[in-house]
Amino acid sequence: MRPLLLTVLSAYVVAAIHSILAFVNKRRTLERISLFALFAGFMLHTVALMADWIEEGHYPLFGLRETLSFLAWTLAATYGLILYRYRTQSLGTFTLPLIALLVFIASVARDTGSTATGTVTGNGAAWLFPLHTTLLVFAYASFFVVFVASIMYLLQERELKLKTFGAIFHRLPSLTTINDIATTTAGIGLTLLTLGILSGMLWSSSRDGRLWHNDPKEIFAVLTWLLYLLLILYRATAGWRGRRAAWLGVAGFALVLCTFFGTRLIGSYHNFGF
Amino acid sequence: MSIILVGLNHKTAPVGVRERLAFTDEACAAGLRALVDGEVVREGLIVSTCNRVEVLTATEGERTADQLTRIVKFLSDARSIPSEDFSNHLYHHEDDAAVRHVFRVASSLDSMVVGEPQVLGQVRRAYSLAVTAGTTGRVLNRLVHQALHVAKRVRTETGIAASAVSISYMAVELGRKIFGSLKGRTVLLIGAGEMAELSARHLVGAGVGRVLIANRTVETAQRMAAEFGGEAIDYSRLPKSLAEADIVICSTGASSYVVTPELAREALELRRNRPVFFIDISVPRNIDPAVGELPNLFVFDIDDLEAVVASNIREREREAERAELIVESEVMQFQQSLRALSIGPTLGALRRKFQDVAREELARQRNRLGQLSAEQERAIEALLLSTVNKISHPIIHHLRRSYDTGEEETMRAWREVFRLEEPSGDEQIPLDDDEADDEQTS
Repeated sequence: MRPLLLTVLSAYVVAAIHSILAFVNKRRTLERISLFALFAGFMLHTVALMADWIEEGHYPLFGLRETLSFLAWTLAATYGLILYRYRTQSLGTFTLPLIALLVFIASVARDTGSTATGTVTGNGAAWLFPLHTTLLVFAYASFFVVFVASIMYLLQERELKLKTFGAIFHRLPSLTTINDIATTTAGIGLTLLTLGILSGMLWSSSRDGRLWHNDPKEIFAVLTWLLYLLLILYRATAGWRGRRAAWLGVAGFALVLCTFFGTRLIGSYHNFGF
Repeated sequence: MSIILVGLNHKTAPVGVRERLAFTDEACAAGLRALVDGEVVREGLIVSTCNRVEVLTATEGERTADQLTRIVKFLSDARSIPSEDFSNHLYHHEDDAAVRHVFRVASSLDSMVVGEPQVLGQVRRAYSLAVTAGTTGRVLNRLVHQALHVAKRVRTETGIAASAVSISYMAVELGRKIFGSLKGRTVLLIGAGEMAELSARHLVGAGVGRVLIANRTVETAQRMAAEFGGEAIDYSRLPKSLAEADIVICSTGASSYVVTPELAREALELRRNRPVFFIDISVPRNIDPAVGELPNLFVFDIDDLEAVVASNIREREREAERAELIVESEVMQFQQSLRALSIGPTLGALRRKFQDVAREELARQRNRLGQLSAEQERAIEALLLSTVNKISHPIIHHLRRSYDTGEEETMRAWREVFRLEEPSGDEQIPLDDDEADDEQTS
């Protein structure tokens, strides 16, 4: 499905470029073009994923290529939802280039790790595995949004504290809006992460009777879970908001990156090519 | 046909001159009827605001110098002021320059505060007065219509009106940057200075829910509370009120800090770290600058606000440069459409004249053709008309071209040859029809 993925890529690139231009020039028309390109890209991307699914005969979330493509799709969906809820396109200036980059890597990458397919199919609760991975990819996408929102918060807060209102000040949404986005997405991300971890445990136990493998990825995932739980509890109880919460959002994402990519380097039971 | 604009504004004339020359709505209507004689001055419009008085006319056939004298005399007569009192404050623009000026005025590029929104409404008002007085026609209708379109483009495509340029409005703009919507927020006024009152008024206009007023003199607090639908609070309750307020505007005459870091920290704890926006417009300052170092508290003193205003004005000026480009391209387009607009009737009249000749000749010779079927009759008429159209086509083509290049002499010569009337003021020939006819004849 390479040609289709390339079309998806070009739509996302158009969306990303226009989003950046809109951010720089503050032009409504550019925002609309960006939005339209994103929508078209997302629709084609959905088709591409489904085609992959049918062609390959398995859920399109295996190997580096598929995972990156799926992650990009997830990010596009998450961004779309936030756009719908908060109407702030400036988030796209940070998110859309990443989406385009992920699809670009996915379109040039070759799958090497398809050997893992055998290890996850052909057992009792096979449907749990796609559920497990999908939930986690959506959780990671949410945490990426928390990360971007946290960065935006820190930038905007700095502008307000130093009173040096430059380009950023005029273009970013209000502190409260950014804070709301971060809080809401952190909550959604944590819920998805919890469900993702639980479904993974269930799948694992149905496959080989073990809930836990002491695997680095599992440990990181639990650490991540604890950190976001902390973030949300603090926000809820101690009124721990603003700057410190934003820094926690950044730190949390570093941990997410470790879970997602880092364990691959350490060597992990979870190494199915990603 | 030429467009002439004569006027004065805040840049060229002091307020003393502007106010004497200003037109009330009634004076405007009467003046317009006096100005537009239907002979030389075909159309007229008067824009009169506190910052400008401008007379815009579409005229025919008189030299510009005479036009100017006429308009100056008109102003002098209409307002009963000797022309020496104001004539050296006047500026005048012709054709392209006049169109550009109208576009710039409507887009608020010529305003005292660039980007202010009122002027567009004032232009609209001036236009509707002229329409009521019956002094607008083909040219001004189109010009004003286009000016409104340009103003809309400038407003949406540039950030010319995006940021606040007054201290009192800064509270709203910065408040929005912190809280997003101001709906349902609480404002606390400490002290009741004029600037604080103005800021509060803007905030209430932006949807703020609750206004608390603390003032040494309780009567003043109560008076303002009544005005804003707010609550006057006792000075001793300040620490508690501070915890309730999202926006605090401080403007007391106190010589020491009213809001100290201790007080602020206490409030912050009570409101569980929700952000507070402090505006200190008092000199000496009433809010300890150290308050701004606490997390989630943002303190702006008068200097900060002035710096932001200055930077916003610079931002508007940058955006104004982009707006000028929009205006420039629109002026060019307008000039073209105007040319097409006023050549249309001439061409139409010419074509009709040719066709009438053909039809008359046919009618005269019809008897000699004997019995004809309806089809034959139609064919003969079509044949005659198409011959005539074919002959007239190069002439029309030539006329249109000399019009496009502005060769007025050629135009006049052709008009004289065929004894065509100059197009009258309000005859509106749709442009597209002309084009379609051209297609047919070629």
